[in-house]
Amino acid sequence: MADEANRQFAGLSDTAGEEDEFSTLDEPVKETILRDLRAVGSKFIHVLYPKRSSVLLRDWDLWGPLLLCVTLALLLQGGAADKEDQGGPQFAEVFVIVWFGSIIITLNSKLLGGTISFFQSLCVLGYCIMPLTAAMAVCRIVLVGGSGTVSFIVRLVVVTASFGWSTFASTAFLADNQPPGRKSLVVYPVFLFYFVIGWMVLTFSPSQ
Amino acid sequence: MADDTEDVELDFAADEQERARRSAVIRHPLASFFHLFFRVVAIVAYLLCDWISENFASCFVLIITLLSFDFWSVKNVTGRLLVGLRWWNQIDDDGKSLWVFEAKKASRDNNIGTEAEARIFWLGLIICPLIWICFFFTSLFSLKIKWLSLVVASISLQAANLYGYLRCKAVGEDGQHADSFTGQHLLQRPDIIFGIL
Repeated sequence: MADEANRQFAGLSDTAGEEDEFSTLDEPVKETILRDLRAVGSKFIHVLYPKRSSVLLRDWDLWGPLLLCVTLALLLQGGAADKEDQGGPQFAEVFVIVWFGSIIITLNSKLLGGTISFFQSLCVLGYCIMPLTAAMAVCRIVLVGGSGTVSFIVRLVVVTASFGWSTFASTAFLADNQPPGRKSLVVYPVFLFYFVIGWMVLTFSPSQ
Repeated sequence: MADDTEDVELDFAADEQERARRSAVIRHPLASFFHLFFRVVAIVAYLLCDWISENFASCFVLIITLLSFDFWSVKNVTGRLLVGLRWWNQIDDDGKSLWVFEAKKASRDNNIGTEAEARIFWLGLIICPLIWICFFFTSLFSLKIKWLSLVVASISLQAANLYGYLRCKAVGEDGQHADSFTGQHLLQRPDIIFGIL
């Protein structure tokens, strides 16, 4: 039983096997870190090609969402909105919106009778922010070139495409766990969530 | 005869090492150090953030990074080495989420930490969240709302480990749920924390 348990888990957990075989910290820690990194990397790839697979669901971890959230928040720095306040409210805003929004969506899907667990849902929603983060990076590059109409149209197209990609990827994982009549009830908060993030990305304007 | 003497000397050396290991005050100095290192540095960074950098964002990222490393190392490494406790979450084949809390039985052969290490472990685990809760109230009453988000994130990271290890300790003290396959005490319930997780 213990072996089975050891074989199954991954993600934010330690190496399989007995506990008392390692007397130095080096061996197990390096292995664990590498394994966790590989798990995070494979999840990113699964967001790029969303298809119904168990990787994001079974071995959840929250490192990817944390990294994406920090990256998105840092990319949203330096805007015209927060010139007097050193980027304070905007930075914490991104964190609060992403994490609080994910928690609300998860509660919603659980109350509607979904079978997915709390952290699995947070994991999926967090990883599917990746297209929008990439769009933010692209937008900042485009804005370096100028902020006229052409730049706006380019940014609009990029943000819309990545918003669609994020929503599609996450509903591919989330909606399957719901009873048939409830799929749209679960999907629309996800739609709103990525819409708000997409809005933040699109309306970003660099300070002069 | 010379061979016999050599053999006997080797045994003494191994015995000496074993005795030294068992009577050491701290068996895992590196683990003990890192258990406290990230937590204390995060608290110090929060207190000194005005001097470190004027940018709120860099301070936020620094503290969250330190606390993430702390969470990972306490959960995966130091708990296992210092007090022989472990907890994790696994997903069944049918998608059910299972929280597992494990406590290793103390025996002469294994390498669990000494009393001093156990004290370091639990003191570090309990005092730091209490300090962050104090920070919560100071930032709330001084109306520095943007710091509140950071403090809430820190409290959740630290409290998660504290809660997990308290559950493991309860398993260890329970003692009656020994698994039939191994000597370890393994308590597995399709348990749901607070009814949702």
